[in-house]
Amino acid sequence: MKILVCIKQVPDMESRFKPAASGVWYDESDLAWRMNEYDEYAVEQAVQLREQLGEGCELTVLSIGPDRVGEAIKKALAMGCDRGVHVQDDAAATKDPWQIAAIIAAYAKDQGYDLIFTGMQSQDRGSAQVGVTVAEDLGYACATTLVGFAYDNGTVTAKRELEGGIKGVVKLTTPALVTCQLGLNVPRYPTLPNIMKAKKKEIQAIAVAELLKEEPLAATVSFHPPAKKGGGIVLEGEVGALVDQLMGILKEKTTVLR
Amino acid sequence: MNFELSQDHKVLQESVRDFVNKEIKPIAMQIDEEHMIPDTLVRKMGDMGFLGSYLPEEYGGAGLDMLSYAIVVEEVSKACGSSGVLISAHTSLACGPIHTFGTEEQKKKWLPALNSGDIIGCFLLTEPDAGSDAGAIATTYRREGDEFVVNGAKIFITNGGYRGTGVLFATHDKSLKHKGVSAFIIDLRSHGVEILKNEKKLGIRGSYTTAFALDNVRIPAENLLGQEGQGFKIAMDTLNGGRIGIASQALGIAEGAFERALAYSKERKQFGAPICDLQAIQFKLADMWARIETSKLMTYKAACLKDAKRNYTMESAMCKMLASEAATYVAREAIQIHGGYGFICDYEVERMYRDAKITEIYEGTNEVQRVVISKLLLS
Repeated sequence: MKILVCIKQVPDMESRFKPAASGVWYDESDLAWRMNEYDEYAVEQAVQLREQLGEGCELTVLSIGPDRVGEAIKKALAMGCDRGVHVQDDAAATKDPWQIAAIIAAYAKDQGYDLIFTGMQSQDRGSAQVGVTVAEDLGYACATTLVGFAYDNGTVTAKRELEGGIKGVVKLTTPALVTCQLGLNVPRYPTLPNIMKAKKKEIQAIAVAELLKEEPLAATVSFHPPAKKGGGIVLEGEVGALVDQLMGILKEKTTVLR
Repeated sequence: MNFELSQDHKVLQESVRDFVNKEIKPIAMQIDEEHMIPDTLVRKMGDMGFLGSYLPEEYGGAGLDMLSYAIVVEEVSKACGSSGVLISAHTSLACGPIHTFGTEEQKKKWLPALNSGDIIGCFLLTEPDAGSDAGAIATTYRREGDEFVVNGAKIFITNGGYRGTGVLFATHDKSLKHKGVSAFIIDLRSHGVEILKNEKKLGIRGSYTTAFALDNVRIPAENLLGQEGQGFKIAMDTLNGGRIGIASQALGIAEGAFERALAYSKERKQFGAPICDLQAIQFKLADMWARIETSKLMTYKAACLKDAKRNYTMESAMCKMLASEAATYVAREAIQIHGGYGFICDYEVERMYRDAKITEIYEGTNEVQRVVISKLLLS
């Protein structure tokens, strides 16, 4: 059985984001990077399945981006993936979800993966489009926002999270792609011996130009923080005058008084 | 020159940090109050590989390098200095000398259980009348058939309370001073080994600091570590490497105190603005950070030199001295930035101040470090 897990490296969400000079994405300098949280659930579930199936199962982790995404790939290898694929692309952040999905699908189409895991969405762009688009490109069955996963003999039983706390269960026949949500599992810490073992695992490098043939379908036109709220108004003076002022403001700026 | 950590080291740093934030940070105060690191945490640190980081895989270690070890101790110590020194004393002072000076049989026998954390190691050198003057130890040994018989007393033994495996130093003739000293591997559950007490201390309260009486303890001859009379060299060589561990612990304590001070200075408002707007606080933060960075550079340099199998005696002495003095300085200033709240236990910087002080003293006082550095300069 062949499994693929797709991960993205994102900034630590406690970072202070500021728009880059381009005005369409954040400035990447001085940020600390980590594996996208939802992708950690994907890696953990893939590794658990890898352990369930034992020998004869190969688990590949794929990431797209500049050199630094090697860290995220190495982490996934230390968590238990067998081999890595690094699609080298210094401009990955400028590509739309359609292109990212096209890159993954181009890589995966001849590989014969039975199952593909992705995070539900990325923590930075948050489009939640990549996983489902890859499934569509490859003609795979797809289930999103998994909070439960079981696999037996070519069938995935996926527990999905719906609105209002309701859960749904769907069955898929492989080949299939699932996207993973918070609550699916608790990702393991890579142990030191496994970090050491990961150093010996192969990471295949592929230039993005070899895989990407698609033009973008959507373009980000602006990236900016929310407008700063105006400061409050402090009313001062004698009580009677204060009441008049307040009444005036309420009438003018709100629907409380007419 | 490249001052960046490699991707492998960054992965390690992030993994250790995640573990520490979830498993150690929430109970650091409890560890200090209860004077004990929970067995469950020791077990988890063993499972993570923290207790055999740089020992080879063939003996159950993780097979990583000294820089990885320094990062582990640093990250753990950011949250808990007691847990940091447990790792440091265990790895540098017990696993280290057994690996460096042990025979193949000794390594195969003792290291796997130590590296997995099933057994906690310690280093029994210090005595009531032999601290910095380690050649003056009075614990004696004599040979009887295929055993050595040991008598004496050891104090201030970090990790001693676990009664695990120790590297013990004793002399067969005190008049020979350091030339009479030999090293042994000792099972601290042997007959005749008595714990007199686990000390109450200013800081690192979760770490055992144990006094032992050794009364006709019989050690199998095969447990002699290195050659007879080589003990003093083994002790000095071991402490040389150990200083990188203590420097990392001190560095972690300093960084932990700094993180809290920086965050607090942004939250705390006086005179209508956060106190970090005051130059008096800004200058403190600048001085604290500069000392942390200086210590980190020297600690990582010492670790890299050891990894490259180059001489690192000077650097290990300097990093231990710089980092420990940074730790006491930074923790003290962190309290000052916190004002009265810093003096209150809930704010944790007071614990860091208490934990920091010992790093200027153990594994060679900073006065001894200055002796080491100046001797090398003048030799």
